[in-house]
Amino acid sequence: MSKPITLYSHATGPNPWKVAMVLEELNVPYDTKFMDFADLKKDPYEQLCVNGRVPAIEDPNTGINIWESGAIVEYLAETYDTKHELSFEKGPEKYQVKQWLHFQMSGQGPYYGQCAWFNKFHPERLAAPTERYDEQVKRVLYVLNKALTGKKYLVGEKCTIADISFVPWNEMLGFILGDKLASWDVEKNYPAYHAWHQSLLARPAVKKTWEAKQKVASGGGQ
Amino acid sequence: MAAQPDIHLYTTQTPNGIKISITLEELGLPYKVTKIEFSKNAQKEPWFLGINPNGRIPALTDTFTDGKTINLFESGSIQQYLVDRYDKDYKISYPRGTREFYDVNSWLFFLNSGVGPMQGQANHFGRYAPEHIEYGVKRYTNETRRLYGVLNTHLEKSTSGYLVGDRCTIADIAHWGWVAAAGWAGVDIEDFPALKAWEEMMLKRPGVEKGRQVPDPHTMRELSKDSDAAKKAAEETKKWVQEGMAADTKK
Repeated sequence: MSKPITLYSHATGPNPWKVAMVLEELNVPYDTKFMDFADLKKDPYEQLCVNGRVPAIEDPNTGINIWESGAIVEYLAETYDTKHELSFEKGPEKYQVKQWLHFQMSGQGPYYGQCAWFNKFHPERLAAPTERYDEQVKRVLYVLNKALTGKKYLVGEKCTIADISFVPWNEMLGFILGDKLASWDVEKNYPAYHAWHQSLLARPAVKKTWEAKQKVASGGGQ
Repeated sequence: MAAQPDIHLYTTQTPNGIKISITLEELGLPYKVTKIEFSKNAQKEPWFLGINPNGRIPALTDTFTDGKTINLFESGSIQQYLVDRYDKDYKISYPRGTREFYDVNSWLFFLNSGVGPMQGQANHFGRYAPEHIEYGVKRYTNETRRLYGVLNTHLEKSTSGYLVGDRCTIADIAHWGWVAAAGWAGVDIEDFPALKAWEEMMLKRPGVEKGRQVPDPHTMRELSKDSDAAKKAAEETKKWVQEGMAADTKK
């Protein structure tokens, strides 16, 4: 029987929730600690994650502490997905999962994050950077749609950690873009992407995690 | 009988490209190189999109253990593939399951989700953007500086001088091309002494010296220190960067 993993998380940021989804999918017990931003940039958290960002995990079963959401989900798959339900043991698919996971964290995450900043959080609207990151988000949608055309999942015939890793930012597009998203007509312009995302959202572990996030984000308790 | 490596690297002279050639040189692996001409938009040609639907460099093909071709893109996953398959003596990696193995992964993802994208945005607003937006320049130069500070603090405590444990790993190699180009992004490396010492130590490695010259001579260290030459080089690059952006918008 494994002891619960500690997941350091935040109510609103997308990345800790990708880790929670993988933990739920794999039925690995875990406790979530919700952190205030102010506590991230000092000890003891900085001892755990020198970058002062969430997520990070502590695994009492292996003594491994690890940060960066992409590195965490790789670790979880390697350590706990012994039946290879969300990963591949070997073959080209093993590396293609890594490839799409890297695309998520270097291609989707940073650009969606900047798109959120210039659309939602920056005190004044700056046309050129907003347009730049809108276009980058569309480019990511285009690449995903193309890769998914004729397929149900990014790699092979099953949902993997690579697919799951895209869900939080995918789902936050409405929040980021507001009314503007309707004009993008995602369902029509990126149909394979749209069907894929809906199928991921319908997975019980994903659904449960996202509902928990919405509850926490709305102040509904932890 | 395991299939022999038949590695073909598709690349250009950028921080992400030279990560792979340096990794290959450090592992002593033979490889072929095809230069992807950004100025001719070669990364958007159908044959290349067949290898990498994302239309970016680097990409790599190899003969997999089953005898068939494997296509890979995303520099971080290419590095993971190369050490997983070929670094049997753990020259630039650690055995799976060790603490160091996972520490390498944390730093590898830190570079690919943090330093690379943010320094890349600093380059965009500082060097390539059609109009000067002061906020854009400052936002990304400051974030790059923050990330360099994290690296500097970490390296101050390192006994080997490398990011993880006692050896140079794919995490160090991934960072080198970006840190060597600090000045290009408007970041003064002199503000980060431990990181500067690490950058110079890395350069003394024969694999770094050889791999950084692929497919063209590596000039970023010198350009980073010469603002006039940097301005001239940026003007030349600006034209095709903006053309590429315009082409992407039409999709």
